[in-house]
Amino acid sequence: METINYLLQGAQVAFEPMNLMFCFIGVLMGTMVGVLPGLGPTAAIALLLPVSFHIPPVSTIIMLAGIYYGAMYGGSTTSILVNIPGEAASVITCLDGYQMAKKGQAGPALGMAAFGSFIAGTFGVVGIMLVAPPMSKFALAFGPAEYFSLMLMGIVIIIFMSSGSILKDLMIAVFGLLLGTIGMDSISGTQRLTFGVLELADGIGFIPAVMGLFGVAEIITNVERIVATTLVTDRVKNLLPTLKDWKESTWPILRGTVLGFFVGVLPGPAPVISTYASYAMEKKLSKTPEKFGTGHIVGVAGPEAANNAASSGAMIPLFTLGIPANSVIAVLLGAFMIHGLQPGPMFISNYPQVFWAAIVSMYLGNVMLLVLNLPLIPLWVKVLKVPYPILFPLILIFCLIGVYSLNFSQVEISLMIGFGVLGYLLRKFKFEMAPLVLALVLGPMMEKNLRMALLMSQGDPFTFFKRPLSAVFIGVCTVLIFSVLIPGIRKKREKMQETLGEEEA
Amino acid sequence: MKKYNLLASLFFLGSGLFFTFYARSLEIGTIEEPGPGFLPYWAGILLSGMAVLLILKTLISNVFEEVVFFPEKDSWKRVGMVFLALVAYNLLLKPLGFTLVTFLFVGFLLKAIFPQGWITTLVTAALSTLGARLLFVNFLELQFPKGLLGF
Repeated sequence: METINYLLQGAQVAFEPMNLMFCFIGVLMGTMVGVLPGLGPTAAIALLLPVSFHIPPVSTIIMLAGIYYGAMYGGSTTSILVNIPGEAASVITCLDGYQMAKKGQAGPALGMAAFGSFIAGTFGVVGIMLVAPPMSKFALAFGPAEYFSLMLMGIVIIIFMSSGSILKDLMIAVFGLLLGTIGMDSISGTQRLTFGVLELADGIGFIPAVMGLFGVAEIITNVERIVATTLVTDRVKNLLPTLKDWKESTWPILRGTVLGFFVGVLPGPAPVISTYASYAMEKKLSKTPEKFGTGHIVGVAGPEAANNAASSGAMIPLFTLGIPANSVIAVLLGAFMIHGLQPGPMFISNYPQVFWAAIVSMYLGNVMLLVLNLPLIPLWVKVLKVPYPILFPLILIFCLIGVYSLNFSQVEISLMIGFGVLGYLLRKFKFEMAPLVLALVLGPMMEKNLRMALLMSQGDPFTFFKRPLSAVFIGVCTVLIFSVLIPGIRKKREKMQETLGEEEA
Repeated sequence: MKKYNLLASLFFLGSGLFFTFYARSLEIGTIEEPGPGFLPYWAGILLSGMAVLLILKTLISNVFEEVVFFPEKDSWKRVGMVFLALVAYNLLLKPLGFTLVTFLFVGFLLKAIFPQGWITTLVTAALSTLGARLLFVNFLELQFPKGLLGF
């Protein structure tokens, strides 16, 4: 009953005309960045953060969350029509989606991707609604030791799941922690490495860092060579799947939804992993596995459902623990903090309106995406025809203006360019961005909790092992780090790295 | 890849040592009462240690992986020009003003990176500058440097 009351309150906020408009803008922008290859949801959310300063916090969260799940919808369009994934979570859709398009079945492929995404997205939101509140209550028992260990576990899991070498990923995470120490120390007030620059007193700006690492670095990598996009067809017909398509796809969509949601809760590039897991599972369960890769609708329906459900699942650690599960959620966390909202165990009870309005807006956003996306496919086809050489200067100018308008300071632009160079070189040297971003965001919180835990335990380093929950988190970290030394696990990880590496290339 | 790993290791070794030595100028504190230099000091040591480990691992590795830094002959020119354009935008924003520098920035990138025709360049640069002005200056009412043109 309480939940329904909260939902109704959330609906009141979400249905306000302004919030409806921002939900619409969010899902539309999300679909667009999903459609456009070379611009992911992380960069898109970072780009829109400065614009969100002028918008109330609830509307900001509604809009930015819309970008995230909207991108999952949009990514499939490019995979199916161009055979280039619009974003990483749609790589697997290329396999069967593009083959379907080549056979003249682009319409049903796009239609089923949209319906699968809608079903999974809606179930995913129900999942958040059911899981997040009890998980928040559980997290209330957390002290500084648990928080520190949990954040450490988040970083270790993302390192374990990422596609780089463990040593390199550990190095980049520690480097992120160090960068996070720049600025005023939150306990003693001491200035650290600010060199008298006012803009650095609050630490390295998260937005210039993310825009540099994901926006500028990505564009610079893309201009290295001309990537021509060739549309397989610019006329898409019969978007509504047939009864036969539904019969084949219903169970894969439902399985993809459940799988994606639970994979999403775990830290790491969950939407990407969930699509691979869903595809592999469907192929294994299928009576006709040989059809996969030749234009089988199941190969589109399952993974597309999985990545949408995973994007919903990834919201749970953010809302309940204040911990981002991946780099997109890390940028969302930055948005919460900029607007003075601190996600964590108290978030749902402190800001019920924001949480429940966000939930209701996600239902609405999913409906909007379904209603709008199919009719808008001709528009996305036109967007795909805009050549990258014309598009990239516009993205860069958006980055520059966005980052300047944070504090109307050129220091922020310099920081963004610096992080752009760093991100470009790190990609070349095969370092992962996700551990760096996560460590940079979590660093200040980790430092504060580490020092508080040590202060409270009078310098007992075993406090992290004496508290049961903290001990479990530290145990998971230890197992993950040392498991890499086990040959079987190492091989599996290397295999996953190869697959993810191919997808990133 | 060996060369890149060594370069990266040296960068991280330098960064680790820098943070470690800098942290010594702050109060490191004790384990009972950690100070503002505590985390930078220990994390700096950890990073330096890992960098040394990567150097050793790279030096003793027998795997020779040929990595091409730039995929095309003139990739470096395009990469360099984009970076220079970004730096120039930052330097010229105040003296030239938002409108002019935005127009020049977009125009330069269109003409220099993947060269477009003059009409496409001028029309796209003009439309994007106009769009940026309408969105950021007129609609969101953000204040940008006016520069020598005064708008």
